[in-house]
Amino acid sequence: MFKRLIVPLIFLVFAWFIISNNDARTIIAGIAIFLIGMHYMENGFRLFSGGALETVLEKFTSTTPKAIGTGFLATAVVQSSSLVSVIIISFLSAELIGLTQAVGVVFGSNIGTTTTAWLVSSFGLKIKISQYALPMLIFGVIMQFSKQLSYKGLGSVLIGLGFIFLGIAYMKDGFETLKQGLDLAEYAMEGYLGVFVYILFGAVATVVIQSSSATMAIIITALATGQIDYINALSLAIGANVGTTVTAVIGALASNKNGKRLAVAHFIFNIITGLFAVVFIYRLKELVDFLAPVFSIASSDYAMKLALFHTIFNVVGVLLVAPFTNRMVRFLETLFQAKEMGRGQVKYLTDEVMEIPATALAALRKESIHLYDKSLEAIAHAMNLHRHEIFSETAISEVIGQSNKPIAIDVDKIYQQEIKSLYGEIIRYSSISQSYMDQEGNKAIYELKLTARRIIETVKDVRELQKNLNYYSKSHNDVIIEKYNKLRSQLVSVFRKIQQVRDFEGDEEDILTQIEVQKVKSKEHEAEMNHEIDALIRENKIDSNTASSLINDIGFTHGISKKLLKSAVTLWVKEDEIKELGDEYGHE
Amino acid sequence: MGTNKLMDKLNNFFDLSENKQKTKQEKLLKIIHKLEEKKTALEQKMIKQSEIDETIPAYHEMSEELKVLSKLIKKAKKHSISD
Repeated sequence: MFKRLIVPLIFLVFAWFIISNNDARTIIAGIAIFLIGMHYMENGFRLFSGGALETVLEKFTSTTPKAIGTGFLATAVVQSSSLVSVIIISFLSAELIGLTQAVGVVFGSNIGTTTTAWLVSSFGLKIKISQYALPMLIFGVIMQFSKQLSYKGLGSVLIGLGFIFLGIAYMKDGFETLKQGLDLAEYAMEGYLGVFVYILFGAVATVVIQSSSATMAIIITALATGQIDYINALSLAIGANVGTTVTAVIGALASNKNGKRLAVAHFIFNIITGLFAVVFIYRLKELVDFLAPVFSIASSDYAMKLALFHTIFNVVGVLLVAPFTNRMVRFLETLFQAKEMGRGQVKYLTDEVMEIPATALAALRKESIHLYDKSLEAIAHAMNLHRHEIFSETAISEVIGQSNKPIAIDVDKIYQQEIKSLYGEIIRYSSISQSYMDQEGNKAIYELKLTARRIIETVKDVRELQKNLNYYSKSHNDVIIEKYNKLRSQLVSVFRKIQQVRDFEGDEEDILTQIEVQKVKSKEHEAEMNHEIDALIRENKIDSNTASSLINDIGFTHGISKKLLKSAVTLWVKEDEIKELGDEYGHE
Repeated sequence: MGTNKLMDKLNNFFDLSENKQKTKQEKLLKIIHKLEEKKTALEQKMIKQSEIDETIPAYHEMSEELKVLSKLIKKAKKHSISD
């Protein structure tokens, strides 16, 4: 009973506190408005960037220094390390980048978050930003009526910035009026005791508010209005950095292994950086005093000096930890090992991926390739072929001649237990992620859904083919065996061509040409075989039952080839303009 | 003027579809150019081969590729006009 009353009771006390205390109300309202602003900015950048942020984060992270630089720039621009983290976790889940690169981005992102302190201490305090906040809010709201997602996104970014500026203004006003009645600076604590107490305050505040940027904004406005002592403000900043790791670790508890690995990387980084900053806090303070004139910061401008301190200790942290990135990655990989994956389970689709259009598309493409590989395995085995033989250098005729023993495989069972569940997950993910996409994204998703359907249909088709193949392989009529071997050869040549296309690193025009040539060959092969069957019937070399089986199976083989080649265009040709040139592209 | 009407006007002003069309056209022209280059190279290769032996499977394959390239160029040209 008492437990149930705790939360409402806390709310009531809190409500009484903010109603009865004008200054506290203004400061807390400022924090709330600032947080709403951060939320709007984050969501706005998701829509506004239209995949550009994801592209940058994916393309420019090949080495650790590049990953650090990109993490810094991305976070500085979008002013949200959590948005960058979400994107990076989704990239890791979709295997678009490796853990080493992701850890690099997290390091850079830590430096990137320090730009908030610069923003607040320079623009936020030096100019009357509330004047700019209101027009931003007005234009942001107008843009929300736009039908285009990018303008809606830009509108959200403007609303976000407007609220952030307004929040800072409220906090500043609150601290200024508070000073007239209560001077928090009187509670300043000197020495290492003060350092530890204020680090604890900073950390707790960040855990409660769930945003180190908001904590930094409070610290800077409080410092600028003289409510806190400079050295205590430095300690609070260290505390905010430590506190943010707690938020990240709590958030990662419910996340997948990638989220956990990154959260621990973040935790290790911030703890090492925090320890360094605590030990050398007075030396760092001297370094800030020394460097301040270089950045044209006045010796009395403590707010800007705090921003500089925040940046310096995070940069030093990166310099300290970055050389050990590879070791850290190895440790993280052993700490959270990948679980053994069931055969019918998805490999790349995770909840983290769904809401980010570009990543969702990349993950869906990869999962469709996974479905293709699974289906290829089933088709090959159903045709009594082994993949290592199919993809060897051996001539096709030799491969067919060597592998003539039936492989005991229940295609129906594989279809029901593995392929169908994989397909079902692809459809589920597609349908959910579609709601976050624009027209182009929806078109791409539709193509992938169609491709996945074509792929599973090939497994259904091969079930029929397998029955006749195994039945006629026992026949004493060499002509029938030869015809079925010809069908198997046809499938091997299609598999090999698709593999060639997968491994090819040249122009996409070449990829499409190769696939289209194979489609023509497949068509010719079908016509040629049908003529041969006609001749065999006329010459009385096969009975009508066998003829009908063969004609059906020629149709199945051709259908499988056609569907796989069409799927190859969607899966391995990226440019839409080239894809659309393919024969019957987009047709069912 | 209602908000929706105002937004429609703004959308038209900032309309990016024209730019997108232009980019698509440019891409298609580049694709046509590349395909035509490949076609010319293949034709030259076929002329050389025809002087030696036209009956080998490789020659047949080249002629099939040539047909495909011609078809792709035709389709790309059609797309560039209709878009």
